[in-house]
Amino acid sequence: MPSTRANPQEDVSPPPDTDPQEYYKHLSLFWTDLLYLMSSKPQALSSTGPMRTMASNSKRVASEIIEINEDLAGFGTHLATYYKQLADTWTEAQRKVNLKAPDLPQDPEHFEAYKRIWIDIFDNDFTELFDSEEFGANYGKMVSKELEMAKHWNNMADVVLKTANLPNRHELDEVYRELHSLRRRVAEMEGALRRRRGNGRKSK
Amino acid sequence: MAGRASDTGLIDELVRFGSNVARAPDMVPAPDEVDLEVTPHQVAHTIDKVRLLHYEGAGEVTHRTPIVIAYALINRYHILDIQPAKSWVRNLLDQGYDVYMVDWGTPSNMDRYLGFDDYVNVYLDSCIESVCDEASVDSVTLQGYCTGGTLATVYAALHPDKVRNFVATAPVIDGWKDTTVVSNLSKHVEVDKLVDTVGNMPPEFMYYCFSVLKPFEQGIEKYIRFFKNIDNEKFVDNFLRVEKWLSDTPPIPGELFREWIKNIYQKNLLVNNKMRVGGRVVNLRRIKMPVFTQVAVGDHLVSPECSMPLHYAVSSPDKTLRLYPTGHVGMIASGLSQKMVLPEMGSWLSKKSD
Repeated sequence: MPSTRANPQEDVSPPPDTDPQEYYKHLSLFWTDLLYLMSSKPQALSSTGPMRTMASNSKRVASEIIEINEDLAGFGTHLATYYKQLADTWTEAQRKVNLKAPDLPQDPEHFEAYKRIWIDIFDNDFTELFDSEEFGANYGKMVSKELEMAKHWNNMADVVLKTANLPNRHELDEVYRELHSLRRRVAEMEGALRRRRGNGRKSK
Repeated sequence: MAGRASDTGLIDELVRFGSNVARAPDMVPAPDEVDLEVTPHQVAHTIDKVRLLHYEGAGEVTHRTPIVIAYALINRYHILDIQPAKSWVRNLLDQGYDVYMVDWGTPSNMDRYLGFDDYVNVYLDSCIESVCDEASVDSVTLQGYCTGGTLATVYAALHPDKVRNFVATAPVIDGWKDTTVVSNLSKHVEVDKLVDTVGNMPPEFMYYCFSVLKPFEQGIEKYIRFFKNIDNEKFVDNFLRVEKWLSDTPPIPGELFREWIKNIYQKNLLVNNKMRVGGRVVNLRRIKMPVFTQVAVGDHLVSPECSMPLHYAVSSPDKTLRLYPTGHVGMIASGLSQKMVLPEMGSWLSKKSD
């Protein structure tokens, strides 16, 4: 990100025509990268144990935090749309109920009828919302942003687990995959054995 | 309803309702205290976490071909044996059938790579082979319910020699024709990202999908009806059993969920004979055995338009499609299922099961 200012030392605010988020992201990455490079050699000499990788870990965690904030903003937008869709549908459904059941006498029979109308209209309107392309599209994007945040969280947890010399999610997935493959091979061998025994019984 | 003097009847009704709510804890057990095991059974076979249950009937088995039920992947098999008067299993036993049920178990993180291939070609195949060995038969009647109907359909297409008769009850077949809310959400979800990030599909995600199905009927009216009927022992017992069943759904293995959403809801490969399982193409035209397809007209989980294409996709000369005036659960656990659905199925099977 080249600077367009005449004297950048005098101003730390984002240059004009630059996305502030991008600018501060760049600024943060620049300094964490540079500090990491500057400190790596003295740090290697002086640090031991889990602290050995502190600089690279903090760089990783810092970038995950920056990115998680971006996704959080996106998630917030879709979440607001989600609640707006629910609120709008509620208002519209209540308006329909009011039109349909304006002034019923307050006795058990009419109360029951009012309740039935209310539930039917609300169920219909909300089902229509959940079935709509707009709801589906926003819901899909909201879940996608939520998953991005979960990914960053997982990545940060991986850093911590690695520091404690514990297996991380990626390594456990490898174990699960290997186990799945082994179980599959055992099942296939058992099946072949069973078929061979069955053929043996038939030939006798 | 504002601005009018309240009727005394309405006040009485509200007072009675409040009293029922207050008395409820003394009158009914907590859902956790309800035991869902109804018909006695033995575990005939196990493979990994999957169990094959063999039910014990009071009468004699009069039909030689056993029925193997592949239950769905959502919730657990108890709904097919929810209470004596509405038990699908008990009804079939009383009709003289030998009944087995596949309990898929509760997958853990270790099972996240299980896919269609494992469920169909390993687990279901192993259960069916075990039944064939135990009953000394070459083939069985296979019944699949809901997503279990889809697994059973794939099995019937890949292993037709082991399926003498096939009963598909509300199977998920044509994802593009499904008009339910679940289908709409499935089409918009980034399934690769979802599975890569969370692994197995957690029950909470399933609960979300259920919560958008008739939210006010299921979330409010149902509980009002429960408190109103608190003195009705039969109603309360049935309500608690179904509620407990609804609240118990195991996670779905990640790979299976990925294949399910992509191949059935997003790409619609199954009904177009393009889905691959275990390296083989699933061709529904290979299903030539007698097929009985049961569809509920009011199904809001698997719409009739999604299930019915199975009837037209198979090449069986002997095939029947029946539509019932009920919902997804009503078709298998209700008075209507006992009076209409099961007798028709039993009668259709009887001549094909000896």
